Amino acid sequence: MATETLTATSTSDSPSQVRVLLSTRHPDISLPENPGPILVNTNLRRYALSTLVNTLLQSEKPIPFEFLINGTFLRTSLDEYLTANGISAESTLGVEYVRAIIPPLYLASFEHDDWVSAVDFLSETSPAGKWAGSAGARKSGQERMLSGSYDGFLRIWSMSSEVLATSPSASNGGHTSSIKAARYISPSHLASAGLDRTIRLWKYSEDPEGFTASISPQVELYGHKASIESLAVHQPSSRILSASADHTLGLWSTKKSDAPAAPTSLLPSSTSQSFKRRKMGPSTSTPQRGPLSLLKSHTAPVSHAIFAPNDHTVAYTTSWDHALKTWDLPTSTCVDTRSTSHSLLSLSALPALSLLAAGTSARHITLIDPRASATTVSAMTLRGHTNAVVSLAADPESNYGLVSGSHDGTCRVWDVRSSRSEKEGRVGESLYVIERESLKGERKKVGGEGVKVFDVVWDTSVGIVSGGEDKRVQVNRGKGMVAEKGA
Amino acid sequence: NIDPESLLPQLPSLEELRPFPTTCATLFRGHDGRVRSLTVDPSGVWLASGGDDGTVKVWELLTGRQIWSVKLGNEEAVNVVRWRPGTEAIILSAAIGDHVYLIAPPIGDPEIESKGREILDAGWGYAANGATSNTKKESATQWTRPGSRLEEEGVLVKFSLRKTVKVISWHRRGEYFSTVCPQAQSSAVAIHTISKHLTQLPFRKLKGLAQSALFHPSQPIFLVATQRYIRSYDLSKQELLKIIQPGARWISSFDVHPGGDNLIVGTYDRRLLWHDLELSVRPFKTLRYHQKAIRGVKFHQGGLPLFADASDDGSLQIFHGKVVGDMMENATIVPLKVLRGHGVKKELGVLDLDWHPTQPWLVSAGADGTCRLWT
Ligand SMILES: [Mg+2]
Repeated sequence: MATETLTATSTSDSPSQVRVLLSTRHPDISLPENPGPILVNTNLRRYALSTLVNTLLQSEKPIPFEFLINGTFLRTSLDEYLTANGISAESTLGVEYVRAIIPPLYLASFEHDDWVSAVDFLSETSPAGKWAGSAGARKSGQERMLSGSYDGFLRIWSMSSEVLATSPSASNGGHTSSIKAARYISPSHLASAGLDRTIRLWKYSEDPEGFTASISPQVELYGHKASIESLAVHQPSSRILSASADHTLGLWSTKKSDAPAAPTSLLPSSTSQSFKRRKMGPSTSTPQRGPLSLLKSHTAPVSHAIFAPNDHTVAYTTSWDHALKTWDLPTSTCVDTRSTSHSLLSLSALPALSLLAAGTSARHITLIDPRASATTVSAMTLRGHTNAVVSLAADPESNYGLVSGSHDGTCRVWDVRSSRSEKEGRVGESLYVIERESLKGERKKVGGEGVKVFDVVWDTSVGIVSGGEDKRVQVNRGKGMVAEKGA
Repeated sequence: NIDPESLLPQLPSLEELRPFPTTCATLFRGHDGRVRSLTVDPSGVWLASGGDDGTVKVWELLTGRQIWSVKLGNEEAVNVVRWRPGTEAIILSAAIGDHVYLIAPPIGDPEIESKGREILDAGWGYAANGATSNTKKESATQWTRPGSRLEEEGVLVKFSLRKTVKVISWHRRGEYFSTVCPQAQSSAVAIHTISKHLTQLPFRKLKGLAQSALFHPSQPIFLVATQRYIRSYDLSKQELLKIIQPGARWISSFDVHPGGDNLIVGTYDRRLLWHDLELSVRPFKTLRYHQKAIRGVKFHQGGLPLFADASDDGSLQIFHGKVVGDMMENATIVPLKVLRGHGVKKELGVLDLDWHPTQPWLVSAGADGTCRLWT
């Protein structure tokens, strides 16, 4: 047996050996028959242990594994680990193996004229791609990227960094100020919002060869009284959520026929003494609509809004008022408030763990169990960023993975299984730090000047995609990250 | 034998005193030359700044994005910018040279924008009508329209005070604001009524050179700092209440604790003084932390026990300052953090500072041409 070459053949009381009990939480990579404790040399490191597990699994193509011992990824030899943690080699070590997240390498940049505030993707595995099914599937290499910029324009890109289409200018029905959020609703529908307080719905069309494409205005949604910071879309129920600096959560319909009339006092035509830039205002006749409801309970700007992963009638929001709120959308009521100690600036769900991750102005990420039964507000704290954490996205391939985008100019990749116990509770460290390629090895900038990350998404097909103050969208992907799937 | 240490009061640990600003989160770059003044708007999302380049700019506070800018002059510096209190309208006051401007920057929704215009336009014609009535007072200066170029940008009212305006302070209800022109002698301190476009000069007999002035946060009291003293006046009875004596050679700035009974004073002779007005007209505590002049001092006004100062040595000092509503107990003052980063240019460092209305965040304006957000 191959294991014989790895496990030592010397006497069992040798201090150079330790018993390990291998386990995993993933059924698809669990060992066919429980081998029980295995005696291994203490000089083994991650790579040798990974080879051992692949041998036990009889994998045709080796899967790179990482090893968690007491919540810490093994980064040394077993011997060094035992010494550092004062553990006797006599004991049996519980070792959990997980698929390794390969260091996300820089793949490509998409260069813009101005700061990039929002990114989204259309692929076979992105939410809009899945809702569309085979009808809108975008095969590998044919994916589309959507970006929103401070210059007020939405752009659709091919994977070879070509702009296929740009949204119209302010005088032709486009945004009159910077875009802060952009989302695919379906392969042919987009939503965007920003500093001009409107949500705009767009039709996107592209000829089959992808040579000509266009973004045209469909509906303008009015109701917010301050900047809109983020959008969430749920295509099957035709609903959109918006988080606004006016302290409200907006609920909207993507269907013109379902949407109430727009509040006239908020329409651009309502100011008699309009400013120049508004005089240019919409000469086009894009239909204008209002919100299904504006939900009030937060006492400061709402930074982020998401639908509950398994129930689109429930929403979660984060706010500068330090609270994470749960909303029942059909009744437009706030049903739960979790108060933390810091302004919350971003939000993402980890559905399999029933946790929500919230990024703070105080440079960390708090994991929160939103269920009423939860007794503690913070389940874990992820530390490492050096500035506000303004965007979060769950790993599409792991229940435990997360990527965060920060004003410190980095994205960080986290595995929430990797954590240690501290005075304040469980604390996690990031696995990988993704720097901005635009920095080109330059010294870190004070306050993330010039390199702040504003938005990050993680797509199975494409990788980790982030946009920021460096006027670029940057794509990073772990080599083999995709190929691993189903191995 | 008594250990002298045991007689000192127990100070809370830094960890217990969190949150307070510790790091620079955002740089605001765009002014050409020194940034003289800055202010966070009452909603807490916009930063306004003014400087030597004669412009007033509005920025997105968290990202540092400049979203609006107006040039008020070519020759002179914008010495002060202050938002009007209240969130029903967005109104910015700014002073460049001897002129004061009132601005409704086009950054709010149409309702807020029209409310701002309504508030600023309400006083047109008041002075003219007032001339026919004996009960109405005459304005010390004429409020005028600044001309179509500026009006299109949202700059709606202008008036001159004949000498350089260094300080603007608003009354909490947003109906009055005061200005200080240190070189203007008997007309150095003016109080302006926005709904009437009315300027009054109630401190004709002020002794000494006026440096700064403030409305008390809750009582009808007005405080005026000259180089060496701060005098408090009862506004309704028009009488002098108290002469506060920091013992400094030259006061640069002062601020009143939101509770109303405590005061901090910053001086060009590098001192920061805390006064408990219930105790004495002399300082309760003197803090010497800076190498160079202190330019500005500010209490957090949103319920956090924090205050800070800004100095020409390029640093800001953050303090915990807890006031207990008890005559017997003194304020607890603990230095928390020195914030460094601003460069010193021609002997000038940090020229102004402001707290966020609710968060433990601070902003600072530098002679190095930058503003900074500290979180
Ligand atoms: Mg007292």
